[in-house]
Amino acid sequence: MKINKKLFNEFEIGIVLCYIFLLIFGTLAIYSATLNNPFAVEVFPKQIFFISLSFLILIAVYFLHPLYLKQLAIPIYVLSIIFLLVVLFKGKIVYGQKSWLQFGIFGFQPSELAKVGIVFLLAKLFSEKKIDPNTIQGLIIVAAVCLIPLVLVLLEPDMGTSLIIIFVIATMLFWNGLSLFGAFILSMPMICAFASFFGTYAILTVLFFVAAGIIYFKKDIFVSSSILALNVGAVFLPDFLMKFLKPHQQKRIMAFLNAELDPLGSGYNAIQAKTAVGSGGLLGKGFLQGSQTQLRFAPEQWTDFIFCVISEEFGFIGSVALIIAFIILLNRILKVALMIKDKDTFSSFVAMAAFAIIFAHFFINIAMSVGLLPIIGIPLAFVSYGGTSLLINTFLLASVLNIYKNRKYYS
Amino acid sequence: MRIFDRSNADYLLRKRILSLVVYGSAVIFVIYLIQLQIINHQYFESKVVENSIKTLYLNPLRGIFYDRNFEKIVDNRIAYSIVIIPTEYDKKNNEILEKVLGLQSGYIDKIIAENSKQPKHLPIRIKRDVDYALAVWIEENNSFLKGVKLQTENQRLFRKDVAMSHIIGYMREISKSQYEAEKEFYNLGDFVGHVGIERFYEKILRGKKGVSFVIVDATRKEVGLYNDGANDIQAIKGADLILTIDIETQKAAERAFEGKRGALVAIDPKTGEIIAMVSSPWFDLDAVSSVTFKEVWNSIVNDPQKPLFNRATMSPNPPGSTFKILASIAALEEGVIDENTTIFCGGAFKFGDKVFKCHGAHGSINVVKAIEKSCNVFYYQLIFKIGFDRWTAYGRKFGFGSKTNIDLFEEISGIMPSREYFNKRYGPRGWTDGFLVSLGIGQGEVNVTQIQLAQFVSLVANNGKTKRPHLVKGYINPLTGEYKEINYPEINVEISQKTFDIVKKGMFLVVNGYGTAGRIRHPEIKIAGKTGTSQNPHGEDHALFIAFAPFEDPKIAVSVLVENVGYGATHAAPIAREVILTYLNQLNKNKETKNYNIAMSNF
Repeated sequence: MKINKKLFNEFEIGIVLCYIFLLIFGTLAIYSATLNNPFAVEVFPKQIFFISLSFLILIAVYFLHPLYLKQLAIPIYVLSIIFLLVVLFKGKIVYGQKSWLQFGIFGFQPSELAKVGIVFLLAKLFSEKKIDPNTIQGLIIVAAVCLIPLVLVLLEPDMGTSLIIIFVIATMLFWNGLSLFGAFILSMPMICAFASFFGTYAILTVLFFVAAGIIYFKKDIFVSSSILALNVGAVFLPDFLMKFLKPHQQKRIMAFLNAELDPLGSGYNAIQAKTAVGSGGLLGKGFLQGSQTQLRFAPEQWTDFIFCVISEEFGFIGSVALIIAFIILLNRILKVALMIKDKDTFSSFVAMAAFAIIFAHFFINIAMSVGLLPIIGIPLAFVSYGGTSLLINTFLLASVLNIYKNRKYYS
Repeated sequence: MRIFDRSNADYLLRKRILSLVVYGSAVIFVIYLIQLQIINHQYFESKVVENSIKTLYLNPLRGIFYDRNFEKIVDNRIAYSIVIIPTEYDKKNNEILEKVLGLQSGYIDKIIAENSKQPKHLPIRIKRDVDYALAVWIEENNSFLKGVKLQTENQRLFRKDVAMSHIIGYMREISKSQYEAEKEFYNLGDFVGHVGIERFYEKILRGKKGVSFVIVDATRKEVGLYNDGANDIQAIKGADLILTIDIETQKAAERAFEGKRGALVAIDPKTGEIIAMVSSPWFDLDAVSSVTFKEVWNSIVNDPQKPLFNRATMSPNPPGSTFKILASIAALEEGVIDENTTIFCGGAFKFGDKVFKCHGAHGSINVVKAIEKSCNVFYYQLIFKIGFDRWTAYGRKFGFGSKTNIDLFEEISGIMPSREYFNKRYGPRGWTDGFLVSLGIGQGEVNVTQIQLAQFVSLVANNGKTKRPHLVKGYINPLTGEYKEINYPEINVEISQKTFDIVKKGMFLVVNGYGTAGRIRHPEIKIAGKTGTSQNPHGEDHALFIAFAPFEDPKIAVSVLVENVGYGATHAAPIAREVILTYLNQLNKNKETKNYNIAMSNF
């Protein structure tokens, strides 16, 4: 029992079990989704290969000297910007996006690496310099670090990843002491903009919260009215921005608002995804038995809509099991971030970044599968098919495991 | 190194807020999942079925036609059509397909554009009834002709030795309005009876569609049978019709009409069964039923001879002297004359300042002689004795002026004029008794169809009794295989036997005495008849002849019209004779076979 105790001391077994559970679940779903699809025969073996590669990365990073993580920050950041530039000029166009670099039979998505580049550099910055996110200067410095890669990702254009990057930055600012008022100012306009898609009632509700916030924070009349103006402006922003979106993105957003308007066109994916989930019922149709999956009605089932496969074949029980695994995983990571904060700030921010990235994938992916969000092409971390995403997410998780193992090293 | 200068409580709070966000999202997801997977499960289940189960309609075989002796008249055959499925079809193949199928260049693009409103996965027919070699070619080149498919269809197979175009009729693609009205029976693109028996008996000929449920994937490709076909419904074949036509008699009638325009109806006077019916010229049923090219169709429609027009039921003509029989019956029945009453014919009849001529001076003659000689003067006078109203009433009694309700939709009622009719047309002062003079000999404003005349002869031949004329005797119930006879209403005309005997005697003498149709006399078979010549504004007179035979026990009643040739005796009577002799000969033959069969079975 002594060995076991020592092992648990160094090994965040909860994280590892959840990780393995999600990988197995994902592998089963990918197998089912590609079984009868002659255009996806290479998907399953490739995923097995990437899982093996992930284990290697997991072990390598786990045993890495803790200092090296911090030293990786700048190289990864620079590398990701280089890749983003290359992809912009030499990238392969997939679904109207230039986000892939092809290496032989393997594709690589630089925007996935960019996520890590930004958060590691931010973690380094936050741990070495005192940056107050409640001041304009602080925010300008953060913006300066993030702007270049973010703009490059937006140019692809990869809206999904940009959204995740913004969410991760916000989470890190929050962890770095962004005040409630600051969080209010930064987040409400985004919520207002989002609410504008849902009609008058949603907008009025959100504006009611804005007003409540303004009263709660008791700022002077100039600040208060500026905040109100900012939020009201945000309501009209999406309509204005829609004009700059590519047609396929406009279509996706319109389809989200009312999928039934165009059931065979842009609303098709949303409807078929929901149908797959709904038809699963309590217990599901059984492994390899989902007709939406096997007859390929549900779209891109092994990547963005992998949750539909699980929901259809494993039902409500399977879906909830998956959600519980994510809850445990995310909470364990949060715990690591909290326990390390006094010993090593950089590590704490890295853990927080891992939390934010995995959570964002989890939230956006499932939300779009059940019809809560528009269809944004975001894979489900550890479950969806996708080499780059799996390797990057495994790297982040391995970093958290490394931090946990070495938590006594710092002090 | 410690950069954080905030309290532990602040961090704990922030961690808890983030934790709360995670739990909150999870709760929202679970609520959504409950809503989708548990509350609305049934709805999505049905959507899946809607998605993945395609209903295929199985077309039943259409009922086929037999003649009265169970000889096949119309059969079914398999035909191959070539269709394209727009979602799969590659327009690069347009040129080669158009070349191979002999279509005009640009035809495929045009037909795709025409069908652009229907769902893209539904097939569009680009050519019907291709020959077998072409079908094989399409099948063999399947791999590079993506989205080009063969479709088998049921086509009619016609006899080569008999036309019967107007009787059988043809089918057309269902119209939008008919489809909307009878959606449960048809699909778009189906063919429905458009003319003739095909149209009249559409409801029993079409049978009942079957349904097959197949599982399809997202590309609408069939991947298997739903529920192993347990829910499928078999198609039910349409009812086969037994026609009243005698194929040999029909053949003889058509042969007799070759090169002539006109019509013929031959009826069994006791049953109303139509033994033969011809409208000449006729058209090629094969040409209009299978591959109807626009040019072929236009050439038929625009033919000045009007081959599509059914002259037997739709062509109104003055009955001419055949109507003298009607006047005779009316006069005898009303007691205006009796068998011995004579009227003097000096060769002409003066009415007002007009002189109406006869084709001879017959002297004092009675009604029998008047029929035999077809004396005009006798009837010029007779109609005044009968009176217009009574004359009209007798015409109506015998079915003139209204449809016979034969089992064809292509029929008109003709004109049996009355006082009201003339008043309406010319005003009460606009017409005079002078009009009656012509009516007396069946000319002027009295129009009858051949089917009406045939019904009339039947009534005379069978002493006032017959049944509604019809083309279909009965049908075979497709489910039980049983033959079911159709009952047709009886037609009774209350006329004394004596009257019939007198006019029939006249009709007998027309052929067998010194009458107008002596040339068709037959040594054994006694034919009775009446010639007629129908004046018309389009040139030469139409020749008419009505007849029945054998005189003692009528088995067949015939009416013949030959357009624009002159005398009925010369042109129409021989055709009637030919048809009568063929049919009676057939009857004998059948009797012999029957006797032979009985003898054999006894043996």
